[in-house]
Parts: sequence; C-alpha cells; structure tokens
Amino acid sequence: MGITGRKAILFVIVSLIVVAVILSIVYTQLYGSSATRLRAATTTSLYATGLLDYLSHHYEASHPNVVIDYIAVGSGEALERAARGDACIVLVHAPSLEKRYLEEGYISNHVIFAYNYFVILGPKDDPAGVRDASNAVEAFRKIYIAGEEGRALFVSRGDRSGTNVRELMIWNMTGLDPHGKDWYLETGQGMGETLVIADEKGAYTLSDIGTYLKYELEGRLHTLTVLYTNSTELINIYSAYTSTRCSSEEMGDGLQFIEWLAGSEAQSLIAEYGRGEYPHPLFYPAAGKIEYLQEAWRILANG
Amino acid sequence: MDSLPSIVARSIIISGSATLIATAWSIPLAYHASTHRRLTPLVYAFEALVGIPTVLVGLLLYALLSRQGPLGWLGLLYTPQAIVIGEALLITPLLVAVSYRVLSEKSRELWELAATLGATSSQAARLVLSESLPGLTSSVIMGFSRAIGELGVALIVGGNIAGLTRTMTTSIALYTSMGEYDKAITLGLILLAITVTFSILARAVRREWE
Repeated sequence: MGITGRKAILFVIVSLIVVAVILSIVYTQLYGSSATRLRAATTTSLYATGLLDYLSHHYEASHPNVVIDYIAVGSGEALERAARGDACIVLVHAPSLEKRYLEEGYISNHVIFAYNYFVILGPKDDPAGVRDASNAVEAFRKIYIAGEEGRALFVSRGDRSGTNVRELMIWNMTGLDPHGKDWYLETGQGMGETLVIADEKGAYTLSDIGTYLKYELEGRLHTLTVLYTNSTELINIYSAYTSTRCSSEEMGDGLQFIEWLAGSEAQSLIAEYGRGEYPHPLFYPAAGKIEYLQEAWRILANG
Repeated sequence: MDSLPSIVARSIIISGSATLIATAWSIPLAYHASTHRRLTPLVYAFEALVGIPTVLVGLLLYALLSRQGPLGWLGLLYTPQAIVIGEALLITPLLVAVSYRVLSEKSRELWELAATLGATSSQAARLVLSESLPGLTSSVIMGFSRAIGELGVALIVGGNIAGLTRTMTTSIALYTSMGEYDKAITLGLILLAITVTFSILARAVRREWE
C-alpha cells in the first residue's frame, strides 16, 4: 500500500476516534452530574410496582448529593451482584438466600423495611379446590393431586427469585416434588410475565400481592383470582442490606439510605403508597412490628 | 422514570459511539486482511462470530468489569461507556466480515485493471476504497442496527439504570415486566422506525454514489 493510502486510512481512524471522544464528552456533559451515585440491586417486585422510585424521589429531595441507581433483577441475582461489590445496597425478599450471604460475610446491616403477603392465584372455577384449603401446604397438595389427574396446571417463576424460593419451600413442606411433571411449567421470567402466562393458561401460581394488584388494576388478567392467602404462613418480608465490599464512601451513603428506609419518614411513605389507587395496600411498613417480622424472618431463613 | 426522548437520544448516542469505535478498527482490519492473504483465517474466525449471542458478550464483559474482575478498578460497570465497549465488541465480527467481502471483491475487480492502466499502488488503493464506500456504508449501518437493537449487553453491563444507562431495548424489557405493554410496543415501533430510516438513508447514499 502506498504512503497516501496509509495516510488516508490513518486520517479516517483518527477522525472517527475524535468524533467518538467528542460524543462521549457531550454525553457526560448532558447526562453526568456531580452527585454521588449509590447502586442498589433490587428485586423486580419492588421496582416494577414503582415503590422504589417513589421512595428515592423523596430521599433525593432531602439528600441532594446522592442519586440512587436501581438495578432491578431477581433476588438471587441481586444478592450475587451485591456480594461481588457491584452494588452497594441490596433490597430483597428471600430470607433463606439472604441467610446464606449473611453467613458467608458478603452482606451486613440487615434492616427489615416492609412486608406484604404472597397469594395463591388460580382460575375462578378452581378445579383443584384451593379455596377450601386450610393452609398453604394443603393448597399446594391439592394442586399437585389435580395436576396429576390432568385437571390443573401450575406456573412457576423458576428463576431463584424471592417468590420462587418461597414457592419451592412450600412444595418442600408438602413432601411432593413437582419438577419434571408436565403440568408444572417454569417460565424463568419476572412475576408480571408469569402472571400473564398463568392467566392465559388458566393455571395456578404463587405471586406477591403487589404485582398481582398492579396487573389486575391494569386489566391484564382475566381468569386469575386470589384463592388463598394467609397473614402468617404467606408473609413476604422485604429486607435491605449493605454489601461488605462497598467502598467506605459508598458505605456511608448506603448505611444512611437503609437507616432512612427504616425511619419514620420512609415508613409512613410506604404505608401511604398506592392508597386510593389500589383496593388494598401494596406494602405494609415494618415499623411497630419489627420483633414479629424478625421472628418470621428467622423461621423462613431456616426453611 | 426517564422521559421517552432522552431514552431514544441516549440509545442513539450509545450505539452510534459503539458503531464509530467498531468502524475505526474493523474497516482498517478488513482492508489489511483483503491485501494480506495470510490474514484470511482471521476473517473466517470473525465470520464465525457474527452471530455471537449478545448475552454472552454481556456476561463476559460483566465478569471483566465487575469489581472482583480483572478490569474492576476501571469502575466502568453500570456506565454508558461499558455499553459502548460491549456493543463495539459485539458488532466487530459483523463489520469485519461484511467489509472484508466488499473490499476483497472490489480489489479483485479493480486492482489489476488500475495497475495495467498505469496507476501507482496508492492510487489503486484509493480507487478500491472509494469504490467500496457504498458497501462499507451499508456494513456500518448493519452494525449500528445490531447495536441499537441488542438487549443482552445493555442489560447486563448497563444495568438499566434510569437516567444513566436505560436504553430503548432495556426500557422495552422493563415495561414488559411492569405489564405496560402499550409503552413497550410504542418504544419497539420507534426502534424499528430508527433502524428502517437508517437503512433507507444508506440505500439513498448508495444510489447517489453508484
């Protein structure tokens, strides 16, 4: 290749790189800000219901130097990302997984900040008779029997999310294993997608109440209805932790945020969230029930 | 929640930067390979990687950029720059493979002809390059379309953070998981409109040249 050909190519390369650098500078000018960013890995159910944006909107109003970046994934992935130090705080609802990460020293500063309930959903005509069950384990056993007889389907998240972990725990308590059965479908997707699939198929499923109410209100669900819920066995506890791999600066912001979550301002915000919009509260604040919730958390963590 | 125009603008800027960077190394590489036969196996390797799954690129890059990973000290994870790097890597095989095709075809057609007409090798090289421009442009547009339409890299190394790394595809995934299908479909259609517009533009440019 001749000198001029090389020069032309070099010129093209240099100009492309210059353009890319200029674009990225413009980008940082437009979108960057001086506030410190606090990364929070969180479960999809907290994020998709809008609760976290609502809380951080209020938090950032009184703490203008911090911007909270949410990374919404399943509880299993959220804990793993915090364990690697890629997120400084983690908001999850899977006590048995949380316990493992706590014991291995990846996360600390446990704060319970909210709770609600899981619900067993199914078609209105309830072919398995879940409505008559006296507890969640019996309800699952009825679904298993109906499934084996070809009268019912069950849709599972199958993604190691908090909801999936709880579902597997209930199956475990029945002493029956639905895996591999042709009536047991694992979606591997978020709660919302799983609800839609269960609804389309006229199947049973386990959901957190928040996602269900949101989908129900938006008219996405046609056959699914709440067949069983219970305030003790199906309690769903949301906890916040800091990662032990945070930098010291992040740790300060992270601790401040999770302490704020447990404080009176955030607790009353959680109590008010969705009032007037939904027929039932989406989340209940943990304040005033901490000891009860800690006990329930211990029981769930020990499976 | 981010506003729709800023999500669209962010996607175009991120994928556009990724395309420019990938172009800066892919086309010279393809040109070099078209003039040096011993580099042909490299091109075959790139051709084999054209369909590399976006989640795989995302996961590998995540392992590299994670705080525990070898490049963790750069602090790039969950930044727009991380998505730019990932998308640039993602579309490199496509850009190299397609531009190699164009360049080697044109140089086969034109090099000897130019030489017999008495052109110096640099004149011949310039002729090949300028005759290849329309084809190279379409390879760049293809790269851009793949970058802006991919989800795996943006979701895994970007984290879908509102106001920072939320792109059109990650918003579509989020809106879907929130049950807001109308918004998801609207964004999907905008994305489609952008890629179609770019390919029409490329075609127009091509026609202009030919």
